[in-house]
Amino acid sequence: MGNPNVGKSVVFERLTGRYVTVSNYPGTTVTVTRGRATVGAEVCDIVDTPGVNAIEGVLSEDEKVTRNLMRDGGAELIVQIADARNLRRALMLTSQLADLCLPMILVLNMMDEARARGVDVDVPALSEELGIPVVEAVAPEGRGIAELREALPQAGRPSAARDAGLSHIEWADEMTRRFRTIGAVTIGRIQEWLGRAVRQPLTGIPILLVVLYVTYLVVGVFGAQTLVGLLEKGLFGTFINPWSVRLAAYIPLAFVRDFLVGDYGLITMGLTYAIAIVLPVVTTFFLVFGFLEDSGYIPRLAIFSDRLFRAMGLNGKAVLPMVLGLGCDTMATMTTRILTTPKERLIAILLLALGVPCSAQLATIMGILGGISFWALLTLFGVVLTQMIIVGFLAAQLLPGDRSDFILELPPLRLPRLRNLLTKTSLRVRWYLGEAVPLFLIGTALLFVLDRIGGLAIIANAARPVVTGLLGLPSKAAEVFVMGFLRRDYGAAGLFLMASNGALSHVQAVVALTVMTLFVPCVANFLMIVKERGLKIGLAILVFITAIAVGTGAALHAALRIFHVAF
Amino acid sequence: MSLSKPQPLSALAPGSRGTVIRVTRDLTSRAERLAALGVTPGAQVSVLQTFPGVVFECDQTELVIERLVARSIWIELE
Repeated sequence: MGNPNVGKSVVFERLTGRYVTVSNYPGTTVTVTRGRATVGAEVCDIVDTPGVNAIEGVLSEDEKVTRNLMRDGGAELIVQIADARNLRRALMLTSQLADLCLPMILVLNMMDEARARGVDVDVPALSEELGIPVVEAVAPEGRGIAELREALPQAGRPSAARDAGLSHIEWADEMTRRFRTIGAVTIGRIQEWLGRAVRQPLTGIPILLVVLYVTYLVVGVFGAQTLVGLLEKGLFGTFINPWSVRLAAYIPLAFVRDFLVGDYGLITMGLTYAIAIVLPVVTTFFLVFGFLEDSGYIPRLAIFSDRLFRAMGLNGKAVLPMVLGLGCDTMATMTTRILTTPKERLIAILLLALGVPCSAQLATIMGILGGISFWALLTLFGVVLTQMIIVGFLAAQLLPGDRSDFILELPPLRLPRLRNLLTKTSLRVRWYLGEAVPLFLIGTALLFVLDRIGGLAIIANAARPVVTGLLGLPSKAAEVFVMGFLRRDYGAAGLFLMASNGALSHVQAVVALTVMTLFVPCVANFLMIVKERGLKIGLAILVFITAIAVGTGAALHAALRIFHVAF
Repeated sequence: MSLSKPQPLSALAPGSRGTVIRVTRDLTSRAERLAALGVTPGAQVSVLQTFPGVVFECDQTELVIERLVARSIWIELE
């Protein structure tokens, strides 16, 4: 355990061989991960915990979880990971941990960065004073891990503030003064210059625009157009689908044939959506996103967005779950745990479910609207963003409770390590294949059955007043919304095919996608909301969001018609 | 080196350096949360930026806080 963003998960991976997503911002780990390691002849259970700044006093939700885990969870030994640059803060925590009376080891991680900043720690003397092993490490390179393994049996209870009759802070101050020296800084000029450039508005905002544009080029153009084109028209259009149809012709049962390669066929619809349309975009997005995560850039966006978030009853910290939501709303819903008050968490969860499109959905949005015009794309994001701000603003006024102070630690800017970037991306792609693709297939099977028993026609009829009347869409779009309830991106993929077959006009595509984007992301996200906030709030959010989605779509349709916008 | 009158962090210009002498305690947990991040009396700080948020370095760590919070951190300039 240890302070946030000190590299606990990297050390955990090095000890157990189990990869935990690692990034360069506080709060990447919000759940407890368990693993096993063999030390000497013994097998140990090792637990990776979320970062904590304190285990005494006023605590956030994950700090309480971590404290209870150590106090009542049968922990036998604590390995505290510390950022060597910041010995004082680490020791404040050490001192609080000492009161738990468990054997401890202190690992000073990021020794390389500390040295670059001129920080030097007299490790042997510190170790002697504390009475516990202190290990120097650079975990991503594996340095210090062997030493840590060797030191495990020598762990002891540290002598800290209580033994010296001081407060935690006084003790940490004194230890830091005695054992740490700060010398000449050899930190790269480029790093310092870049740090300044991204946080000052005059340079920071143009940099943000460039980052967004590059993301658009990689994900929206290369991923959503080039790669999707290759896979959809090339691989699936010319090879897989025609071949499957030819192969399926040997199947004597028409029912089975249609189930595989018909209009709602597992291969022609399910796999085509999942692999040809969504996968390329998800992959390119995860790559860019992982790069940004590891660079330490994302928390810096909080500086600019604090004021906006404050109007919505949140603070700049909320930028983390919001941006993470672009990767996956379900994961981001969990990350709202880094927010302090229950009100903030509820608003963030609501806004995530309402407006933040996840990677798979961005895929389809870019795929459809990228092909229409930049203005279509801008309209959609404009409407969704405005809607989020309005809802956030109202929620801030109506919900009881307070927002908390905006206090955020900025992680150092770093050049991401290629190894971590690739591991993380491949892990996330694998997660997509394992989690989302089966849902696509289940959804397709469901549609097939509904279509066969005539259910689809009934739904389309029932929804006609809303779909064709209010939203001005073809009635087939109702089917797509049924799919959208399962997963937003799956529904959006349906719209993608309708659009590319010419079944949707440009205006209709914008309206349909806007409604889809405002929907609750997917079944998984809904279940996560229920898990985090309870069934009642979950259902309330679902009903509220559906109403907002349809209402906004109707208003947009009316506005576009009145002003004769055609894109 | 003459010691000047304490000023709140929110009043300092970018480039100022000093020592935290006091963090105003109120009914919220503000002071405790700042302490957990190393902002306690005695800590050395240097102000990096004051708009849109107050960005400062304390003990090798860059922190960003809103103006309201910066008002409760009192600094003695170097």
